[in-house]
Amino acid sequence: MSNNSTFSSPAFAKRLARRHAAERRFKLIGLGAIVLSLAFLALLLFIMMHSGLGGLNWNFLSGSDSTDPHVAGIWSAAKGSILTMLVTLLLSFPMGVLAAIYLEEFAPRSRWIELVEVSINNLAAVPSIIFGLLGLAVFINTLNLPRSSPLVGGLTLALMTMPVIVISGRNAIKAVPPSIRDAALAVGASKVQAVFHHVLPLALPGILTGTIIGMARALGETAPLLMIGMRAFIVTPPGGITDPSSVLPMQIFLWSDEIDKAFVQNTSAAIIVLLVFLLVMNGLAIYLRNKFEVRW
Amino acid sequence: MILSGVLLAVIGLGLVGWFAGRGRARLLYTGRGSMHSMPGYHGWHLALWILVPALLAWTAWSMIMPGLVDGAVMADPAAAQLPAGDMHRAAILADARNIAANPDAVAFDPLAEQLARPMRAAQIRFGMIGGLLVMIIALAGGGYGFTRVRAGFPARTHVERAILALLLIASLMAILTTFGIVASLLFEAGLFFKDVSPIAFLTGTHWAPGNARGVDIDGNFGAVPLFWGTIYIGAIIAMIVAIPLGLMSAIYLTQYASGTIRKWVKPILEILAGIPTVVYGYFAALTVAPLIRDTAASLGVANPSTESALAAGLVMGVMISPFVSSMADDALAAVPRAMSDGSLALGATRSETIKKVLLPAALPGIVAGVMLAISRAIGETMIVVMAAGASARLSANPLASMTTVTYQIVQMLTGDQEFNSPKTLSAFALGLVLFIVTLILNIIALRVVKRFREAYE
Repeated sequence: MSNNSTFSSPAFAKRLARRHAAERRFKLIGLGAIVLSLAFLALLLFIMMHSGLGGLNWNFLSGSDSTDPHVAGIWSAAKGSILTMLVTLLLSFPMGVLAAIYLEEFAPRSRWIELVEVSINNLAAVPSIIFGLLGLAVFINTLNLPRSSPLVGGLTLALMTMPVIVISGRNAIKAVPPSIRDAALAVGASKVQAVFHHVLPLALPGILTGTIIGMARALGETAPLLMIGMRAFIVTPPGGITDPSSVLPMQIFLWSDEIDKAFVQNTSAAIIVLLVFLLVMNGLAIYLRNKFEVRW
Repeated sequence: MILSGVLLAVIGLGLVGWFAGRGRARLLYTGRGSMHSMPGYHGWHLALWILVPALLAWTAWSMIMPGLVDGAVMADPAAAQLPAGDMHRAAILADARNIAANPDAVAFDPLAEQLARPMRAAQIRFGMIGGLLVMIIALAGGGYGFTRVRAGFPARTHVERAILALLLIASLMAILTTFGIVASLLFEAGLFFKDVSPIAFLTGTHWAPGNARGVDIDGNFGAVPLFWGTIYIGAIIAMIVAIPLGLMSAIYLTQYASGTIRKWVKPILEILAGIPTVVYGYFAALTVAPLIRDTAASLGVANPSTESALAAGLVMGVMISPFVSSMADDALAAVPRAMSDGSLALGATRSETIKKVLLPAALPGIVAGVMLAISRAIGETMIVVMAAGASARLSANPLASMTTVTYQIVQMLTGDQEFNSPKTLSAFALGLVLFIVTLILNIIALRVVKRFREAYE
């Protein structure tokens, strides 16, 4: 009886209504947060499209940097980016995969290995500008490698990308079930053979996904390259990895500093090109993950 | 030139060795169990014996050769006219090296032209000596390796040992990088602290490296305004934006949204995390900062500056929010389902369950995520370079132009500069402080996350 009166009293109904209103409010705030983020993204993309699409034409894509905004193009910067990424990939991919294999499959539990793990986890979170300082102090001032070159840029970005590849590689290797290794060992394969002939091919899609994501990050990186002087005014596309060159994000940064208003269109158009590149890379990573991911 | 040719020759020799080793091992094969290792392993073993010692020798020689060449050039009579100053001398030698490599190049100094000929002769001489040495080592290694191709020889064991060594070296690269960062920052910052006292640097409130000369050098390197700007933009404004935005979208997506919405919205929000920071910086400078300036002007603020801490912090907050969101997502997912089920079964509404049960239980994970987000925000460079401004000031006014540690690092190291001046070196001292702070934040956060996961497992 007392229960019934509690549940039907006006005070209870009022309290319940208030609680439900609070519930709706909370849900709305959550929805609002998402809508706000999406709106920000949409605004950013819209403004870049609006001010940049008009500048996208063949002359822009194939031209080189210039002081005249109407002739300036991005091919020299894009070529610099390609060369830099090539150096980064060639160094960080093998290094990262080999380190991941060692840490996941062969490393004994020891102090040293713990130190390696801790330093990899920390390197993945070190601000990118610190890698730029490292590149400046070691590659340019100590080893005297050519300043502003894709070689030094690639080396610096490789150090930055390697931890990302190691971490994703370890997760991919960890996901391969032990029965695969056991089966290989049982028919007489050595440990090295079991890993390189069986575990690695199965983990490769996961490793590649992580590598592409790491490379996409490196492609958009500007701060460390600023440190090693890749901000020169480059009129001819670099011929090799030791020539002075610029990269796409750096070109965006340099143009954004120009006083001439006509460079706004160039900057936005270059941003569109960079974003398309990144979108394609990330799309490829998602495609690889969906296509080859095996659920054991 | 000669050395790159030698490198190609060594690699070609290695390839030949691989085929020779495999071919010879195949000839030895007489039936199942007649050999310890497969022919391919004999090929690799032989190739390794050719390549590894030769490549080591090649690397060593290409490192010592420039010194030998310079020594030979110094012995030339023309070198007697070289100036005594180290910097000048090195510049002329570099110029001569350039002409020696590329005869069409134009010399800045007539002396370089004279030195180019002996330089070229020395390069050819030492290149030949080194090349010959490397080839002899490669052939000797190959000869030794070839005698090892026998039926009972455990080539596989040896090759696998080499592979393991390679794996170990690769994983030590991580330590080497960390060590390189610490060593280079400490070394350069040490040079800086020879001129400027660390206490003045860490506690001074006046930052004007441009005026730093002579006696008052300490007074112009006070980095407190930079630390304040960094904290104000990265840890206060950006977090005021990023924490509610990230946390609430994580809560909505995990607790309220239907499967299809989650499937579509989550990847789209992750695009925010993938956009390069230079794009955010440009957006902040082109759109957000003028918007804030105009709004402030219409609200009656006198002379609002175009570059403001608010513009940089706001955009940075949006950029970091997907990161906060994914950390919060992980933390919420780690809370056992039984806890929220229990709360719901007692009649609590979903929002009450989230606020009173889920969030407190997930708090350590969320706090760790926020710490990692702060460590990212304070290390963020391009947004502040493009939108925050250059004036070092201690102010709590979000509309004021403010500078940060990362901005000053960029400022000190770009443009014309002489290396080793306190102004340039201060960038490394700032880098050291930044590295230490982010390191501490990361270590604490990772430890909290680890303990938090263990608590619910």
